[in-house]
Amino acid sequence: MTAVCRVFKNKRKLPPCRAACPADVNVQGYIALLQQGKFKESVELIRKSMPFPAICGRVCFSPCQDACSRKNVDQPVGIRYLKQLAANIEREQGRIKSDPIPKTHSEKVAIVGAGPAGLSAAYELAKLGYPVTVFERMPEPGGMMRYGIPDYRLQKYVVANEIAYIQDLGVKIKTGVEFGKDINLDTLRNNGYKAILIANGAQQSRKLRIPGEDLEGVFHAVEFLRHVALGKTVDVGEKVAVVGGGNSAIDAARTSLRLGAKQITVLYRRSRNEMPALPHEIEAAEEEGIKFHFLVAPKQIIGEGGRVKAIECLRMELGEPDASGRRRPVPIQESEHIYEVDTVIPAIGQLSETSYLPSILLDERARTISVDPLTLETKIPSIFAGGDIVTGPASIIEAVGAGKRAAVSIDRYLNGKDLRRGREEEIEETTWVKDREAITKKLERYTAPHVDAGRQKVSFEEADELLAKIKEVAMFEARRCLECGPCTECLESEELCEADKAVVDETLCTGCNVCVLVCPFGAINKDENGLAKVDEDLCKGCGVCSASCPERAISMQRFTAAQIMTDVVTALGREFT
Amino acid sequence: MMFKPRIIGFICNWSLPTEVDIASSNRISGYPKIRIVRVKCIGRIDPAIVLETFVKGADGVLVIGCPPPDCHYIEGNLQAERKIKMLKEFLSLTGLEPERLGLEWSYPFEIERFARIINDFRNKVTVLGSSPLAGERPDMDILLNIKAAKAAVEDFRLRVLVGREIELTEKENVFGEKISQEEFDALLYETIRVEFIRHKIHLLTKEKLMSIKEIASITNMKPCLVLRHIVNMRRKGMITLDHVEKTTPLYKALEVQ
Repeated sequence: MTAVCRVFKNKRKLPPCRAACPADVNVQGYIALLQQGKFKESVELIRKSMPFPAICGRVCFSPCQDACSRKNVDQPVGIRYLKQLAANIEREQGRIKSDPIPKTHSEKVAIVGAGPAGLSAAYELAKLGYPVTVFERMPEPGGMMRYGIPDYRLQKYVVANEIAYIQDLGVKIKTGVEFGKDINLDTLRNNGYKAILIANGAQQSRKLRIPGEDLEGVFHAVEFLRHVALGKTVDVGEKVAVVGGGNSAIDAARTSLRLGAKQITVLYRRSRNEMPALPHEIEAAEEEGIKFHFLVAPKQIIGEGGRVKAIECLRMELGEPDASGRRRPVPIQESEHIYEVDTVIPAIGQLSETSYLPSILLDERARTISVDPLTLETKIPSIFAGGDIVTGPASIIEAVGAGKRAAVSIDRYLNGKDLRRGREEEIEETTWVKDREAITKKLERYTAPHVDAGRQKVSFEEADELLAKIKEVAMFEARRCLECGPCTECLESEELCEADKAVVDETLCTGCNVCVLVCPFGAINKDENGLAKVDEDLCKGCGVCSASCPERAISMQRFTAAQIMTDVVTALGREFT
Repeated sequence: MMFKPRIIGFICNWSLPTEVDIASSNRISGYPKIRIVRVKCIGRIDPAIVLETFVKGADGVLVIGCPPPDCHYIEGNLQAERKIKMLKEFLSLTGLEPERLGLEWSYPFEIERFARIINDFRNKVTVLGSSPLAGERPDMDILLNIKAAKAAVEDFRLRVLVGREIELTEKENVFGEKISQEEFDALLYETIRVEFIRHKIHLLTKEKLMSIKEIASITNMKPCLVLRHIVNMRRKGMITLDHVEKTTPLYKALEVQ
């Protein structure tokens, strides 16, 4: 007989936005602060859960927004725009600096790769008081945030600022140190690093594996974008074909345009619906005149004198869904056709460089490191791995989530604690949103104005006015939030608002139903005895029920009527001017 | 010396201008010319709290919330609006000027509007002068009236009526009936008058035994109307016949359960 081990999972009730965020950012909380116009406090709250508010505000794929309950009413709250705006406004007075955190631990931690996963792990560990060193192969830290995402989407200074903030905390970043060449696991251990996190991402482009791929004029997307980010000159000629439908493909296409290409075609083997790229990125690319050809896959690249001359493609049709749930493209026989191009940019995915790692760590087939999905521990104790090198190419926010989890594991490991205990979570989404008319009365969604390179010049006075206007619009947008989570979710910081909840005195309640009627969130219902019962997950602590209860059976836990009267008396006792 | 009105502002978390909020470290903050008591939502302001604030001697009470239909708690501001409407009606019965109570809407980014609201309200209250309830020697008649009003808004009947307003005026009941806003308002005002007078009688007879004639003269009502109220109050257990002195029955208030 097998022993049954009961796993106790941590139960958490979260609003859908936070439940959807891989980095567990308190979305409802910072949106609530924005509703009050507290832009700085809002960014500070984001920084409690991750170090990249400005970066994610620009380029996150925002799963929070996709999960937003407001979509059932009209459109989701523009969470990402709000985050971006808050981070921009915070920067009004220059870069945000932070004081170093005193080192309370002596165990040194090494992190390989200064990308989103490595840097967030470093951030979390530094906050815990560990001496952390991050090793980076490239001349500047940031990983894909710096060398993968083009400048027009994510400006380099934004990345630099947020990394500088992490360095302020006391994290050391050593650039130009290549793992596998300058350092390896043994040298790191010999240098006294007690724990190592491998987070060097997926830095190589997947190859097309068709004839002609080594011709001059074929640039693989990751390397192409890295070259451009390094400031090297890349001659793409006039006609460019980009192969692939992900964000790298769109980035490569839009970057080619900025390098002077005139005619850019994105070739994708499935249809538009299956494209993994962000919808607004695809729209922006189309607006810039980039053409999309769907259901085509390259067969070979044709060269002339060692240079790319054309790309030969096959037409495809969609067959049965494959493992990813998308319909598999199937080639149509004898559908070959040719595009004449100067440059071919394959952007069909990324792989990790794993040749320098001990094979025990690896999942050879996928070229990733295999880890315990909960703790991110590898098969060798003291060595952890996270980010794209584990998952294959994913997103910034997922890497941040992995970095945070790795930091918790490393902290536990260094303190000799159980890595798993109490970490498994069962997340229940809370939402009160029903089809109520009142919420549809709220304002229409605001879409952030598209700011392009050709910005208008404004005077100081106009700029001030413009900023005030933008802040106002942002507050309106934040006010569209429906507050799906419980009251405590809204503002973690009690100095800013006091979490409250309604409490029913059952000896006084007569079951008159008034509270059920007045509660805007449907948080009060009758129990089996016909008495009022407050659902704590839905109660926002507004106190309308308490002010309306005919028997005065409902009082607020913290903000009682007596408390308000005490405040009034105190206020009246002060001098009036 | 110029008269400086003592005004309490009940202002919600979500409409208080950021500039004012950040300047204050706690719930009570000093904005020039007014004392602010910050609340989560103005819908939380129990009518009894407003009346109690007047009893404590405030010259004015200003409630500020987010402009409808915007409200962090969906409709807390509308709930407050109903309660303020009821309170103003009560004030007109008590002899305290209803203008001493104000309800205004403002967004947190409208600092100028906020300042204007407060200035206007302060000017209005300055014209009215000091509250008859303020100072060492408050006007006892008005004080009694305010206390009667307070007892009335704490009682079941009005609270149920106000709490059910939306249900009664916007939704149909099980018989498919719906009453218009005018009908509801008429019902509400009638109830306010009745509840006010009953609670006043209750307070009067709590202090000393009284005859119908005495009550009629104090409340300035016809004795037959007073009798009708007393009959009703006896049925509800608010009042009882204590004893008959010669031929005059004297009434005494009962503690309401």
